[in-house]
Formats: sequence, C-alpha cells, structure tokens
Amino acid sequence: MDGSIVEFIDEVRGSGAMKDVYFSPDGSYVVGFFRKPQDANSKDRLQNITGVYREHIFNRVGGEYWKNLFCWPEKLVEWNGKLGIVCPTYQKYFFFSSGPFKGKEKEGKWFASAHLRNKFLPADQKGNWLTHFHMCIQIARAVKRLHAAGLAHSDLSYKNVLVDPVTGRAAVIDCDGLVVPGKYPPDVVGTPDFIAPEVLQTKNLPLTDPNRKLPSIQTDRHALAVLIYMYLLYRHPLRGGKVNDLDPAKDEELTMGSKALFIEHPTDKSNRPKVNQLRPSELPQGDVSKLPYTICGPYLKELFDRAFIDGLHDPSKRPVAYEWETALVKTTDLMQPCQNPGCEAHWFVFDNTTKPRCPFCGKEYRGQLPVLNLYYSLRKGVFKPENYRLMVYDKQSLYMWHVNRFIEPNERTKPEDKKPVGDFHFHNGKWILINRKLSSLYDKDEDKKIEIGQYVELTEGKKILLSTEDGGRLIIVQLVNN
Amino acid sequence: MRRLPVYLLLDTSGSMFGEPIEAVKNGVQVLVSTLRSDPYALETAYLSVITFNSSAQQVTPLIELSAFQQPNFEASGCTALGEALALLANKVDTEVVKTTVDVKGDWKPLVFIMTDGEPTDDLNKGIAEFKKRKFGMVVACAAGQGANTDTLKKITECVVQLDTADSATIKAFFKWVSASVSTGSQKVEDAGVEVTGLSELPPPPPEVNIVV
Repeated sequence: MDGSIVEFIDEVRGSGAMKDVYFSPDGSYVVGFFRKPQDANSKDRLQNITGVYREHIFNRVGGEYWKNLFCWPEKLVEWNGKLGIVCPTYQKYFFFSSGPFKGKEKEGKWFASAHLRNKFLPADQKGNWLTHFHMCIQIARAVKRLHAAGLAHSDLSYKNVLVDPVTGRAAVIDCDGLVVPGKYPPDVVGTPDFIAPEVLQTKNLPLTDPNRKLPSIQTDRHALAVLIYMYLLYRHPLRGGKVNDLDPAKDEELTMGSKALFIEHPTDKSNRPKVNQLRPSELPQGDVSKLPYTICGPYLKELFDRAFIDGLHDPSKRPVAYEWETALVKTTDLMQPCQNPGCEAHWFVFDNTTKPRCPFCGKEYRGQLPVLNLYYSLRKGVFKPENYRLMVYDKQSLYMWHVNRFIEPNERTKPEDKKPVGDFHFHNGKWILINRKLSSLYDKDEDKKIEIGQYVELTEGKKILLSTEDGGRLIIVQLVNN
Repeated sequence: MRRLPVYLLLDTSGSMFGEPIEAVKNGVQVLVSTLRSDPYALETAYLSVITFNSSAQQVTPLIELSAFQQPNFEASGCTALGEALALLANKVDTEVVKTTVDVKGDWKPLVFIMTDGEPTDDLNKGIAEFKKRKFGMVVACAAGQGANTDTLKKITECVVQLDTADSATIKAFFKWVSASVSTGSQKVEDAGVEVTGLSELPPPPPEVNIVV
C-alpha cells in the first residue's frame, strides 16, 4: 500500500490463527493475508507498525542489529480485498536441519519442555546451557527495545519466539499484534501459559470495565519472566501439584490466574510439583528439589523472586526487560564448563561454595578455580565492590565490559569493544592472564605495569588494576581449591 | 502434566469394505504422523482406537502418540455403535485419570466417531452409559449418505457429514481431526479452556459438511 508491487506464489503455504501465508518467488519474504477484514483501527495499527514504528527501530544508527532479533512486518499490501503484511523469511537456523523434525520451525515449545527435550529432541539440536542463556539475552534485549519504543508485544510466548539453541539465537516474531497503550487495544488476551494472572482473572469482565486488565508492557514482563524460566529450567513456574478445583478447566484458570503460586515459593510450599505424579520423561527437570531455580545464580534468583513472588499479583514489582538482560549477561560471567565430557548441560553457574559441583550431572570441580571479584573506582584510589564476579576458565577471554564499568555488552557495544583484550590460561600449573590490548594494566601488589604481550599470575588475594582510565576496574583474585 | 485423551470410534462394518476401510487405516496413520511432529500434541495428547462391527473392541488402549502402533482391522459384520459407546464409557472410567484434591487428573477426553450406516444394536443403552461420563468435544461423522445424521445427533450436537465415503474425503476428514487435536492440545495447555464446540475448531475442509 506504499505503491510498490509485491509478488507472491498463489498457493497457501501455511495458516495461522488469523492469516494465510504465501511465499515469494525467491523465498526471501512471505506474505500473510488476514482471512477476516480488518477494521480501520487495525489497519491504522498495521500502517504504523510497517511504517513509523519500524523506521524508529530499524532505520536509525544501530538499526541493523535489530533485524536479527525480530521478524518485523515490512509492508502492508492489499489483494482481492484482503489486507496482508510482508515479512522477511525466518533465518535458516530457525528450522530443524536434520532429524525427525527436519524442515520444521524451531518453535520455542520444543526446548522449553523437559518431556519434549528428554524424549524427542535429537541431541545435536539441544545446544547447551550457555547457549540457552544467550537465547534468553536476545529475547530480553528484543523485548527491552519494544518497550523502550512504548510498544507491548501483547502475545509473547514460545509460539511467537523462534529459538536456536545450537547457535544461541532467538527472534521475536508475530509483531503485527503490537499494542500501543492508549492507542491500539490488544487483539488477544495472549497465549495462556504466558498470560499474566491479572489478565486471566479479569477476562470475563466487559472490555469497557475499568477493572479489566489487558495485555500491556507490564504483562509482557510476566511473559518474559516465564519464557526465561522455562528456557533455563524446562518447566513452568506456576504449574505445580496444587489442585485448585476438581474441574480441570476451572483448576487451570485458577492456577494461572487468581490462585497463581510460584512452584518454588520459599514459604508457601503447597504448589511444589509432586514428583511421584510426573512422567519419567519430565525428570529430573521437573523435580525442583534436585534442580531448584537457584542453580541460575544469585542475579537471576533475585529477579525470579520479584517476578513470581513479589510481582506475580503486583505487576508494578515485576523486573523490566533491561534488568533481565543485565542479570543474564552477568550470570554468563559466573559460568564454568563442566569437567564431565558427557554432561548434557556442559556449563553450570558457580554456586559460590568452596566445593563447586555441576548441578546437572553432579560432577565436582577438581582443581584450582579462580574467581575474580570486580571493584569500581569511586574516586581515584578508592574502590568499591559492585556485586560483580567473573569466573575464570582455561582459554577464556577478558572483554572491555569487564575492564571499564562505563562499557556495557549490548546492542550499542562498539565493534572495537567486542574484541577480547586479554585471555586466561591454565599454564604449567598456574592460572595466568595475558594482556593483549590493555594500555594500563597493573599488578597492584607490586605496582608493576603489565605490558601488552606480558602476563600476570592469578594468586590468592592478588590485586590487578585493569585500567587507570575513568571507570577502570580493580580485580581481587580468590582461588577456590578443590 | 494433564493428558489430553483422544478416542477414535471407527465403524468397521461390512459396508466399509474396500476403499473406505483402507482410507480409514490410512487416515489414522496420517493423523498419528502429523501429530507426532507437533510439540503441543506430543506433550499432552494420548490416543485410543475403538472399532465396532458386530461387536465393539478397543484395538488400541489409550497410549501416548510416540508409542502408538497402527492397529489392523478388517471390515465385516454389522454396526454395533451402541456397544461402542458403552465400551468407550467403560474405558474412560479405567483409563482417564480423575482430578482429586491431591492429583491433577486428565483433561476431558475428545471423541471422534465415524460411521457409514445405521446402528444395528441398542443405541439408546449405549448413549445412556456414554452420557454419564464427562467429555470435552464429541464429533460424530456420517461418512457418506448411508449414515443417519439424526441418529448421530442423539449422541452429540457436533455432527459432520461426508458426501461420499471415498478415500479423498476420508483423508480430508482425518486431516481435520488432526488439526482439531492440535488445536485442542494447545488450548488445554494454554488457556485452560477446553474445546467443547465446533466453533472452536479449525474450519473443516469443504468435503466435511457440518450438520445443523
């Protein structure tokens, strides 16, 4: 409807809840036509989504970055009286490349359920635990971007997020239902594993009732928390053993709505999953005593508490997408490769104990484990702890966002800051940091400058200044011996 | 995890001999293989097949999709639909887990009945047993012109009719059943709203006529 001509092959290739999808001749885009006529409001919404909102996100400095994180409608078209949208084709890695589901989309559901993972997914499609963190970072970042633009997705679910655990990538799709608070009301209440309790609880009230809660940025935050919990722990945070009604449908509505209760609530344990009622294929992930959410580390534990305890029935307390992004990134700095070569998770989060062990396979870490505590400079010479740690493993890289607190790893990170500035090695029985790029790296114990190409040994209590520049951090080394 | 039980009640009477029965076997096979690549169905749906001719038998007890094995059945005899309904009621009692204060039971079962003729036994007796149990959606399909849709209306409000009982039409019906089970397993998973009426299902293909 911008005057351009869009070609497509006149054969329905797929049907969603609202649209029929056709392919382009070259396969680079798809056209989805709404089966039902769209009213003026919907048309206006679609015009804005393909127009001004799209331009705001993608046609600005750094806009390229977002193209991989969204499948965003590019054009609005009309054909035989039907309204349609043109979307880029999903990236190749979002389709199964082999195995029994070859050619099918990697809908998130496959990877968020213990039963499906344990029973049906081929091992080479599962990725590892670290790639699941990377997927979650991308989802949180995409949602952060939408919310920053004042938009709510309104139907975030594993159906509308494609993921690839092999490469750790994710993309938010189905962006044509976006909600602009006060301007475009939502089309749907959402996909109810992800519907916020307040929406489910008030769904039978008339749309005009002031108490009726509709999908919004706040309900997106609930859905985002559920997605992250499910992608990291492969179970639903509210689906436990508690029966709220003898009728299954009513029970479900209460369990997800007014009576929603975190299955790992620290004091109210009434919704703990009953392990003896789970299928063998739902274990061990379904057993919260074996794999509690605390295995995700301290930063995520705090956010899960806010999302599923404090904020479950109090939307204003839910963590925002940016907090999830930051906590996930910081958590990846706490991760250690599991020493058991057969471990399916491959990675685990350091549990801050003197006897670290992988929670997934039970393998204890053997050897010396350096933990770097990061401090920031309040004013020259005065350093404060900032609840930020970096776990060291062999051949790990050090980046600028570790060195300087004003540099963050996100979509705005400059290309030169994405390159490693140093690396860690376990060499001849010693842990060392080799300086590759840092112009003012100091061994503060000896007040000695470490030149580029030189190394410093990591010993208990060692103080290393990473940079003398503003924002430069100080490291204090802790060694865990096991 | 609540399971979604799906019962197929299939007519294997003599009139189904030849193309229709082969189409039904093929339909079951396609149904199962389609659902096996649907993560929602794989997570929740369980399938059972009850066939009926001169008597009714459960050829496949309720089982998860991945373990389902194609049953073999031949067409012969008459149409004991009443007995099939009574057997269904009986199997639901033993196979479907009921919700108690301690246990989350299964979803209400979905039932798809397909027949091409008039029942030859006491249908009302079967219906009486059937009505004592709780079901989600029950769809009765009259395959071809030999089946009486008014009779089927006594069992359920959702009655569909196939104009002919040829392989293309029967195939289309099973395709629709599989889409319905997919929708059903997403709905119960997601919304907690069980599928109960035809308006909730994907639109049937042109070969399937909804009888109102």
